[in-house]
Parts: sequence; C-alpha cells; structure tokens
Amino acid sequence: MGKARIFEICSEYAECEGPLLPILHAVQAEYGCVSPEAEAAIAESLNLSRAEVHGVVSFYHDFTAEPDLRMDVQVCRAEACQARGVEAIVGAAEAAAGERVAVKPVYCLGLCSVGPAARVGDRLYARLDEAALVALVERVA
Amino acid sequence: MAYERQADFGTPEVRSETSVTLSIDGRSVTVPAGTSVMRAAAEAGGTIPKLCATDNLKAFGSCRLCLIEVEGMRGTPASCTTIAAEGMVVKTQTPRLEKLRRGVMELYISDHPLDCLTCSANNDCELQDAAAQVGLRDVRYGYEGASHLGRKPDVSNPYFLFAPDKCIACSRCVRACDEVQGTFALTMDGRGFASRISAGQADDTFLSSECVSCGACVQACPTSALMEKSVKQHGKPERAVVTTCAYCGVGCTFRAEMRGEQLVRMVPWKDGKANHGHSCVKGRFAWGYANHKDRITSPMIRESIDEPWREVSWEEALAFTAGRLKAIRDQYGARALGGITSSRCTNEETYLVQKLVRAGFGSNNVDTCARVCHSPTGYGLKTTFGTSAGTQDFDSVMDADVILVIGANPTDAHPVFGSRIKQRLRQGAKLIVIDPRRIDLVKSPHVRAEHHLALQPGTNVAVLTAMAHVIVTEGLVADAFVGERCETDAFEDWARFVSDAKHSPEVLEAVTHVPAERLRAAARLYATGGNGAIYYGLGVTEHSQGSSTVMAIANLAMATGNVGRPGVGVNPLRGQNNVQGSCDMGSFPHELPGYRHIHDVETRALFEADWGVSLDTEPGLRIPNMLDAAVDGTFRALYVQGEDILQSDPDTHHVAAGLAAMDCVIVHDLFLNETANYAHVFLPGSTFLEKDGTFTNAERRIQLVRKVMEPANGMADWEVTQALANAMGLGWTYTHPREVMDEIARLTPSFTGVSHARLDAEGSLQWPVNAAHPDGSPIMHADGFVRGKGHFVVTDYVPTDEKTGPRFPLLLTTGRILSQYNVGAQTRRTENTVWHGEDALEIHPVDAENRGVKDGDWVRLASRTGETTLRATVTDRVAPGVVYTTFHHPETQANVVTTDYSDWATNCPEYKVTAVQVTPSNGPSDWQADYAAQAARSRRIEAEPAA
Amino acid sequence: MFRIEDHPFIARQQRLTFARAGRTRPLSLEDYAATGGWAGLSRARRIGPEQVLEDVTTSGLRGRGGAGFPTGIKWQTVARAQAPRKYIVCNADEGDSGTFADRMLLEGDPFQLIEGMAIAALAVGAHKGYIYVRSEYPHAVAKLEAAIALSRDMVAPFEVEVRMGAGAYVCGEETSLLNSLEGKRGEVRAKPPLPALEGLFGCPTAVNNVLSLTAIPHILSEDGAQEYARLGIHRSRGTKPIQLAGNIRHGGLFETAFGITLEELVHDIGGGTASGRPVKAVQVGGPLGAYIPPAQFGLPFDYEAYAAAGALIGHGGVVVFDDSADMAAQAHFAMTFCAVESCGKCTPCRIGSVRGVEALDRIRSGQARAPGPVETLPQMHNARKTQRSLAEDVALLEDLCETMKFGSLCALGGFAPYPVLSALRHWPEDFGIREEEMADGL
Repeated sequence: MGKARIFEICSEYAECEGPLLPILHAVQAEYGCVSPEAEAAIAESLNLSRAEVHGVVSFYHDFTAEPDLRMDVQVCRAEACQARGVEAIVGAAEAAAGERVAVKPVYCLGLCSVGPAARVGDRLYARLDEAALVALVERVA
Repeated sequence: MAYERQADFGTPEVRSETSVTLSIDGRSVTVPAGTSVMRAAAEAGGTIPKLCATDNLKAFGSCRLCLIEVEGMRGTPASCTTIAAEGMVVKTQTPRLEKLRRGVMELYISDHPLDCLTCSANNDCELQDAAAQVGLRDVRYGYEGASHLGRKPDVSNPYFLFAPDKCIACSRCVRACDEVQGTFALTMDGRGFASRISAGQADDTFLSSECVSCGACVQACPTSALMEKSVKQHGKPERAVVTTCAYCGVGCTFRAEMRGEQLVRMVPWKDGKANHGHSCVKGRFAWGYANHKDRITSPMIRESIDEPWREVSWEEALAFTAGRLKAIRDQYGARALGGITSSRCTNEETYLVQKLVRAGFGSNNVDTCARVCHSPTGYGLKTTFGTSAGTQDFDSVMDADVILVIGANPTDAHPVFGSRIKQRLRQGAKLIVIDPRRIDLVKSPHVRAEHHLALQPGTNVAVLTAMAHVIVTEGLVADAFVGERCETDAFEDWARFVSDAKHSPEVLEAVTHVPAERLRAAARLYATGGNGAIYYGLGVTEHSQGSSTVMAIANLAMATGNVGRPGVGVNPLRGQNNVQGSCDMGSFPHELPGYRHIHDVETRALFEADWGVSLDTEPGLRIPNMLDAAVDGTFRALYVQGEDILQSDPDTHHVAAGLAAMDCVIVHDLFLNETANYAHVFLPGSTFLEKDGTFTNAERRIQLVRKVMEPANGMADWEVTQALANAMGLGWTYTHPREVMDEIARLTPSFTGVSHARLDAEGSLQWPVNAAHPDGSPIMHADGFVRGKGHFVVTDYVPTDEKTGPRFPLLLTTGRILSQYNVGAQTRRTENTVWHGEDALEIHPVDAENRGVKDGDWVRLASRTGETTLRATVTDRVAPGVVYTTFHHPETQANVVTTDYSDWATNCPEYKVTAVQVTPSNGPSDWQADYAAQAARSRRIEAEPAA
Repeated sequence: MFRIEDHPFIARQQRLTFARAGRTRPLSLEDYAATGGWAGLSRARRIGPEQVLEDVTTSGLRGRGGAGFPTGIKWQTVARAQAPRKYIVCNADEGDSGTFADRMLLEGDPFQLIEGMAIAALAVGAHKGYIYVRSEYPHAVAKLEAAIALSRDMVAPFEVEVRMGAGAYVCGEETSLLNSLEGKRGEVRAKPPLPALEGLFGCPTAVNNVLSLTAIPHILSEDGAQEYARLGIHRSRGTKPIQLAGNIRHGGLFETAFGITLEELVHDIGGGTASGRPVKAVQVGGPLGAYIPPAQFGLPFDYEAYAAAGALIGHGGVVVFDDSADMAAQAHFAMTFCAVESCGKCTPCRIGSVRGVEALDRIRSGQARAPGPVETLPQMHNARKTQRSLAEDVALLEDLCETMKFGSLCALGGFAPYPVLSALRHWPEDFGIREEEMADGL
C-alpha cells in the first residue's frame, strides 16, 4: 500500500480530535487490513510512535494485520442467540463455508429477541434456522 | 553504603500548600493534599504490596495488589489511585485483604517461571518480594494452564535483554518510556491474556524499534523481564556508591552498583537534582571503556615521536618529563610551556593543572576545550549579564511556556534534559527551533515545534536581529523590565539599531532563507507567549560571530523581560560534564579562578600570596595561538590532560603540524588518543569511577564524584598532576581533593561556601555559594543583574569569510549523535557502536541526486582546508545546500575539513560553517590511509621494557 | 374482538423515551417537531443551566447504562469544573447480549438523542459531543450521521460527531470508551480522576448512556421532571426500557416504570418461552448479569433490590432460557466471554478469566486437578503432590470469583463472577456436583 495514499487518508481527518480510530477504519476498509507499513505511515503522519499505532491496531478485533480474502459471515454467539439455539446450527454453517467463506463469531448484533442472527457486510439476518444459515453461507460463497 | 534498592514510595511526590491528616492502620499520617494513600503509607514507614506502581510514574491501578479498606467506602479500592483525604481511616491489612492479595498473587505465579534461584533478579525482584509479603504458599491452579512461558528472549540490545516469559504485564516499561523518556517506543500488544510488551511493531526487536536505550524501562521493570546483561553476568550488586556521570553537561547522578571492584551497573539516582532518576544510553550503559583492552595503565615515554613507546615506572616517567620541561623553560623561557585542562576531569584536577602551569611552568598559557565550544558564552553573558554562566536550573523548564531552542539538539546531546523539555511540551508549552537541520524536537512522537526556522548556517545573528526588529517595531518590548533593570542608553542604541528597516525579516530573508512571516510569528510567540526560555548549544557559539550570537540572545531575553525568575532565562547547554567547572576553575589564559582577569592586581596578589610564587602578569596563549607559536618555534612544550585536540580541534593538518613541532608533548589520558601520536610522554589517566572530586554541570550545580574503585593505574589524575608538580619542585602536599576544594573556596568568592562535606550532606550546590547566597543560586539575576544593570549590545550581522562558490557550493555543519560522545574515545570503546559505527554525511535528496549519490554510497567531502571520505545518508532532515556530519570517529576526521576561522572575540572555531563539495568516491581517501598507517606506527609499544 | 392495543405487551407499556420510535419517520425534522421535539431544548435555553441541573436532579434520573449513578450529580460535577473545554460523550457501545434499546433509539429516534445531548451541553457548558457507537451497528451510525447533518443548526453552536468502535466490548466501560475516542487502546483507566473532572482529552466530560440522554428531553418538558420522578419505586425513578430477549414468545422492547417483576415480564408480557418448554433461568443485565431462577421471579425491577440479590439491572436486557439450557455451559461461556473481551490491564481479569475457563473445563469434565509434572518433581518441595477433589476445584473457582469481584479494575472482571456464581449456586447439578459435594466443598 502506498505511503502517499495513507498520508492522504490521514489528511482527510486533519480536523478530527483523536483521529486514529477513524483513520484505521478507513485504511482497513480500503486495504482489507492495516499492514505494518500502514502503521508506520500513520504514525509518521499523526506524530505518534510506531509502537503506539501498533498497540492500538492490535487491541481492536476490527483491525487485522493481513487481509482475509474470504467473505465474512458473522454469526452471533452471545447468550440471547444461545438461548434460541445458535450453537446447534453453527456446525452446519462452518461445514458449508469451505475455503471461500469465514464463519466468525460476533457477540451480539442487537437482534436478541429474533435470533439466531447473522451479519454479512452491512446486512443483518434474523430468525435463522440451520437451513437458512447454510443457505446464507452458500449464497455468500 | 550496603546494597539496598532505593526506597520507592509508589506514586510521585505531590507539592501542595495544604496538607491532610489521615489514619493508616491506627497511625496518624500527615501528607500534602493530593498524595495517594499508598505514598502516605510509605512515608509513614509501611509497605503496601504493589507491582504496577513506582514513584516516578503516574498511578496506574492495574496490579490490584495494593488494595485497602477505607471506612465508609464500598469495596477494596487500590491505594495507588485513592487520594488521601482529611480524616480518612484506612486499613492496609485485614483478613479479607490478605485473601484478595494472595488470590491475585496466585494468578501471577500461575503464569511465571519458578526458577527464582537461578534468575538474574533473584533477591532483587519486586514480584518475589510481593509473593513473600502476601504469604503465597500454594498455586492451586497448577502450572499446566495457558501461559507465556517458553517465549524467546529478545537479546538484540547490547546492554539489556527482554525475557517475555518473566513479564507480568504491568506496563511500567511502557509508561516509563512514555512519561519519563518521552520516546513512546514500547507498547502493549494485543489484549486480554494475550497482552504482551512489544518494542515497536509486530516484527520489531528492541534494537530495530524506536528505543533509544535510555534504560528507563529496565529500571522500571519489577522483575527480570527487562534486565541489564551485566547483572546476568556478574550477579546482584553488594554495594552502591552515588556519583556523577562523566559524559555531558546535564550532570546526572547515578548509583554505581558494585560487587567487589566490579562495576555491575549504573542506575540513575532518584534524588539527583539534575536528572531526577533518569538517564541516557551513555551514562547508564556506556561505561565498559573503563576496562577496555586499549586502556593504558603504565606510564610511557619516548625520545621522539618516530620511536615506539617504552613502558617505564612512574618515577622514571616523571623525572623524564620534569627534566624536559625544565630544560625547555631554561632555554626558551616560561612562555614556551603551556597546558590544556580537561573538561572531563574534576574541578579539583582542572584547578591543579592551571595552578601547575601558572605557578610551576610560570606562564599563563593555559586553555581548555571550552575554547572550542562555549568560550563565546563566557564572553557574551559576562558582557550582557555579568556572569559567564546560564541563568537557570533545569527544573525551571517546567515553568516555561515558550521554549526556544537554537543551535542545540538536546535529545541527542543532552538527552536527559531533552526528555524534560519533551515532558513540558507535552504539558502544552510551545516550541520554537532555530536550526538548519530538522532535529528530533522539531517533530517526534507527541512533540511538534510551533515554528522551525531552518536558517542558512552562519546567519544566527541575522535571524536574532530580525526577531529583535519584530519585537521592537511591533511594540512587544517589556518596557517596565527594561526601564527598571537595564541600561537605558544601551537599550536605546540597540532598539534604534534593530529597528532599521535593513534588519527586517523581509530584507534579511535573502540571507537567512527563513520566510519572513514565519520569523515574525516566532518572534511574536517568544515575546508574548508567557514565560520564554532560551536554550542554546554549539550551533550558537561555534561561529565567527559566536559571541555576537550569545549577546543577541541575551538582548532578546532582556527586551522581553525573560530573565530572573523560574521558567525563563538564557541557558547554554554545556557539552561536557565539567566544562562549566573547568571554565570556573581558571582554565582560560586571561582569567584566574572565578573569572577574574589576570590584570587584576588584587586577585593576582591573593593567589601569589597563597601559592607563594609570583605570576606572569600578562594573559597567556589560547590553544590556536599555542599551535601557531609552536609552528613558529616559540612554543615548545604542552601538558594535555584528558583532551584529544588533534581530533577535536579544527583544521587537523594545522594541529598536527603544531604538535609535531614541539619538543615535549605530554598526554595524560585513558587511551593512546590521536594527540598521543605526537606525544613524548604518556601518563595514564583514571576514569571518573576511580577518583574523588566534583563536577559542575550546565546549571552551575556542583556535585560530588565519588571513588567507586581503585585507579587501574595506581593514581587518580589529581595525584598524577601533583606528582608532576612535585617532580618540578613545587612541593604540593594535598592528600585528598577536598583539600583542593578548600583552597578553591578560600580563593574564589563565588565558591566561598563550597566544601566536600557540605556537598556530601546536601547533594549539590549551585554557585554562587557565599555570604550573599548561602544556599546557592538556582536562578540568577533574580533581584538585578550581577553586573548591576543589563547591558544591551548592538550585534551587527557580519557574514563569515567562509563562503560557498562554484568549487565549494555546499555548507557543511557538524554535530553530535545520541549514542556517541564527542571524539568517541570512550563511547567508541563500548557497544554503543551498534547504533553509530561510523560518521555519515547527511545530504538532501536533491543535492544527492545532482551528484549521483545514493544512500549508503561513499562520498568525498572536500573543503579549502582538506578532504575526507565517508558514507552518505540521503535525508530531508537537512535543507538543500546544507550537509551535516558528526565528528565521533578518527577514521573520518571531520575536522580535516573544517577551517581555522573563528569567533572574533574568543577564537572559538567556526565548526558549524564550512564550504564544501561532495562527490562520489570509491572508499577511504589517500590521506585517511596515510593517517591510519602513521597512527598505527606511532602507537607501537616496545615488547618489554629493558630491565 | 381482540385488539392489538389490548395485548399486555402494548397495554402495559408506559413509553416516555420510546414515545416516538416506530411511530414517526426517524429522519423527519417535521415529524420530530410535530411530536414535541425540541421543546425540552427550548425550555432548557429559557431556564438556563442551573435550572436544568435542578430539573435533572429532581427527576431522579440515574445512569441507564447499568451503574445507576444519579445523572444530576454527574452533570453538576462537570458543570462546576473550571475548564476551557468540556465534552458530552454518549455511550452507544451497546454490547450486552439481550439488549437493543440503544440501537432501536438510534435508528428510530436519533433527534431525541441529539436534543438530549444539546441540553446536557447547555447544562454543563460543553462545546462538543461525541456519540460512540459500536461497529456492529452500521445502520445506527448511518442514521445518526444523517440526523446530525439535518439538525446542525438546531443545536449550534454545540456540535455532535459520531465515532465508531472497533470491536471491543470493554469500550462500553466509560473510561475505556474515552481512551478509544482519543485514539488509544481501549484500556480501562483507574478512577479517580473521575471522567467528570478529567475525561476526554483530560477535560471535564459527562459520559452518559443513550437511554439516559434520551430521557432528558422529556424531563426538561414543562413539569417533565416531576412527572418522571413520580414514576418508579424507591430510589429507582422514572421508566426503564426493558428488552425481552432470548427464548421468549413475545420478545422486544418494553418500556415501563421501575418496579415490575420478572414474573410479570417473562410470563404475563413475554408469554413464556418461544419453545413452549418451561423457563429455567433468565439472565438480566447482559453477559455479566446473574442467572435468576424462577423461584426469584418476584424480584422487582429496582437497582437496589437487584444488588441485594447479587444481580444487576444493567442495561435492562432480560434473556430467557428454557429447561434445555446447560447452566454449567453458560457459566463457562461467561468466563470465556470475559477472557475474550478483557482489556488485559488488571490482573484478576486478565489471568483470572483464563484460569476460570480452565477450572470450569475441569469441573464440567468431572475431573479435578491432579498434580502436574512440574509439581510432582522432588525439587518442588512446597507443591502439593496429592490429587485434589472436585469440591476443592469448586472452592478454587469461588475464591477466584471473589478475587475478580473485589480485585478487578472495572465491571468486566468485577461482574463476570455473577453469572458463574449464580449458575453454580442455583444449578449445581448442571456442574455434575451432587448436593453433598457442594456441602463438603463450600
């Protein structure tokens, strides 16, 4: 990833107070990851140390050091969905996922009375049963 | 003293007008308001178990061992983050707290190696102490659960290692790097159980990270996760001696921690008033030179410099030397002899060398390395303020609102004070940097200069005069201060002078290359931004107008009322541990100790009476004049203590010619330095660890140097000088440096109240210490200038004679780097070379491109004086047209290139401006090869002295 | 004929905070103004900061995020602090499982939150507000950004900005939220200093939950404070948006005055489980809330009553489990969740949660800990060499829970023991523990 582009992204947040998280979101969205080179460029731009930026990147689950080329299907595994039987249907979804889809846990999508719930990109799915979840995974793949 | 860790009160000291009284375990304790319960308990003599707290870091509250119970409060708050309140009733030991602490400790130990007995922190480990304090007897979780054991240590740093499996994730190292050092090189990586300390990014090691190896993290670590390799090697120290660092002019105090005669480690002393427990890579770690194989411990002599050295006894060496000196004096007169005092040696030693020259040799031909660094400071500040020294203590910077740094690079050259500046900047003070180069303070993590005036080298006076123009013409002068404290006529002359349109930033922009608007903004900020403090270094003094620049700075400070209280002032950052002291001690040819002119009959009489001799009534020769006179044949003998003028002084060819022309060159040093290649007598020196005495730092602070180990050569330097004096028949009878200090105090008004006994009791004193200032003087000119009224001096900008042209189109400027120290005699003989193994030439990408030079290429650096070769670093730290290098390595000999132009008032060399050309090269020049061969020849030592 | 309005889920609600959500167009300024929007802000501007503080205090409003700290006192602290800059921070990092009230408000009535923040800013003298929304709520972020743009002139000179979290449950804790807003690792800060005095960027900051701030416009309406204070029981005043979730027949948001019992909520309003099987437990207050057995369903919704029962109201999420639930598995999940989401700063939470998972693994497998290879070495003189009993492992788990409860720096480690201990206490059989073993071990 180009250092110049990272600087450009940083400059878009020049007016922000505490701009690191918005910048990391932007970089993650554009490159699918926040690479060590990006960390260093962001540090230079924001007058932070490389260590600081790395510490922040490594703290939050939303930021990754390397891009994951697979599509994400986030399945809620928190208590409310557990109570509605999510644990029994995850296995089938994982089996259907194959190489091209990553079935990842998420803790609560705020759809707690209509679970099991899942998220793909900005789209949310509720009242999933095993067949619906497998179908969702297969559609994404 | 026996070995004991320094007391740790857990949280930083709080200063407050009001105090509160609380009850801790039934005892009544009174502390300043705002103090933590943890500190209150510690001050009352108790110890609450703790791991993440230490008293130079803000309370963090993470280890959860220091829990307490407070009457009327729910739960079990942490004592480090609980502020003591009036009437509070605290219990630090109850069955419930015992159980909680044991529970926490049980968790720690479930993820920690168990082999304490073979651990380098054994019996010096806070985790071990805490486990003992809480009475942990069983780890019911067992040792087979998830853990951090088995992680590989990071041994990349030469001085300390990081063992991640011993890390307890307290973040003390991260916080020390952030809060104390201000480098932010460390972080916690990941989160939760996976949290681990990381230097830099995922693939970094400590060495590849931004770490500057200051040691703050190692000092902060409660376990052996971060540990000095020397402790691993030698074991736990058995005693500690507090002494003063012998590197730069900050004057950090350290505990030299020893086993027998073996130095185990140097740990910054928390009560040190200059460093407050902080350190840099040099003082903390770079002491290995003391035992380096190059160290010479026997005296050596030779008839001529073509011969190999002959090791001889002290008696023979001294007799040979005294004989030669006397013979020269008899034949050529006293003025053919001279000496150079060392700013690396103690006040007492420096005093004795100038006494030997004046009273023994019979001339005033004594000079010191301050000639090549801060002599313009002496001249400039004496003329304007009345005293040849900085006006503030270091702590003053914490009250500054605007910090102006000109011609100095504190984070490299005065790192511990650099960290203080950064602390203050992070608190919100504004920074102006005037420097041709983008030094780290201009932009580094959490620090950014408000204004960087990247001036053309050699135009300091023009820039400062333009700032004065803005201040005067925009009505920003502090009229009340000037009217009351300064000479009116001189001020008016000056104000008229600077107001002239030809001194406007707009007109001078062509000369200085500083955009006029930026300069105006900087001037306004300094004049109106609150307390303005100026810090400067050799980028001010080492110019043909060095003294003018110092006076221009003083003018600015007076005009804006920034003198005489905390947070303001004019402060030279002195380069060497005792350069202030060596100047104080009468090391200049025209001045007796205390800056009193040799023409002053009364002073002369005082010394003549005390010393029992009559003194030469005329000032002696300065170093460059000695060398000129040597070439002319009128100067024949030189005693050089602890200085390497061949490498450090400008125009190496000329220095070599002068030395080669003398009949007797005596080098008194730790190593066969470059000057010793031209010496007839080599007297082995002692390190600062091997002697008693005092150093005076840049804030005029006199601190004790304590003997930590016996001198390797059998004699401390002051003893060698005394032996030489006695060989010449002077009959000195000093038995300890304290007696020398008593003599200094007796003869020097500004030192009247100084004695070793007092320094031992009080830690330090800032001169003047006398009837008017019985406790010393942290801040000078508080109630009026020492000279009476402040004196404005008109400083006309005169361009240097060193000019660029078609043959030499670039300007070379020189400086220092963090890991190396001056000529590198010491630091080159330590593992600091991993950071800086050779001098490199910084060149702007445009200039490099034009010359076909790529990063890392060999280049030839040539001036009118000489040439050398070194590798290029292509960087935009320097402006186009400017190149920069360091002068730490004799292989490079940067001073082959520098000229003999110098300050008009003091002869301080113009190191900072040399017109040069840079061209691609294949490797070392012929001259470098010849020099290396000559040096090798000259360093030969005869296999065995004749029986 | 059955009318939907007569269903207890509708009939028994008292919607103040949610009066508008679902009935108006969320991004219509027209709808908002027509349904009483901006009236609270106008009145606040008219009566001035001191009277606003007075009204909020009078209303008895307590922090709706979980801790229940009186909002009026918090605002007074910020208002009294002398500082050139102050902030309002809205905590919309709704991470608790079983809660979605924030999301519904952010998506359904964003102007009400903005109005509440503007009133808060006026009361404490803040110039800028941030809404910190978790990244799992993309629609809420979009709605808020649109709403902020539309209402900019209404709240000026006060400014509001949305910031998105990045996948860290612990950032719902106010101090780690502040660190996150500053662009730092979301580690918890020790208190003091209180955020009200040294909060965002070191400035006095009022950090309030979405539900606290959205209660404000109503409280600031004419007589709103008194009306609000009249509702509820004891020291829990006003209404609480409760979220009925999990295995429940009629799930969703249910706003009512404090005092309602779980019995009413689960059975009368929620209609029992969705699966039709008997209710085994409910978890109130998210992943850190206690599991409550039907025997205790008489507990009224009240901060103090819950605290006395070793439970917490938290954000008002009620998750219902039927009798197929394995409570040991739920306890295990609670510790696992704590381990996954721990910021790692304090020791009890960082190491304790992992040890808790390990201990629960052993207990669930029925195999208490045997001495490990290290402990059996003769060099390990002090280590116990004999097999431990299951009761001892249970005792260890309980000790660990105590260490975490009283030793942790924040509520994540401090409350994770609640679901564990409550499950252990009420359903020991799910842990494979016979009654007499419990008696032995405890």
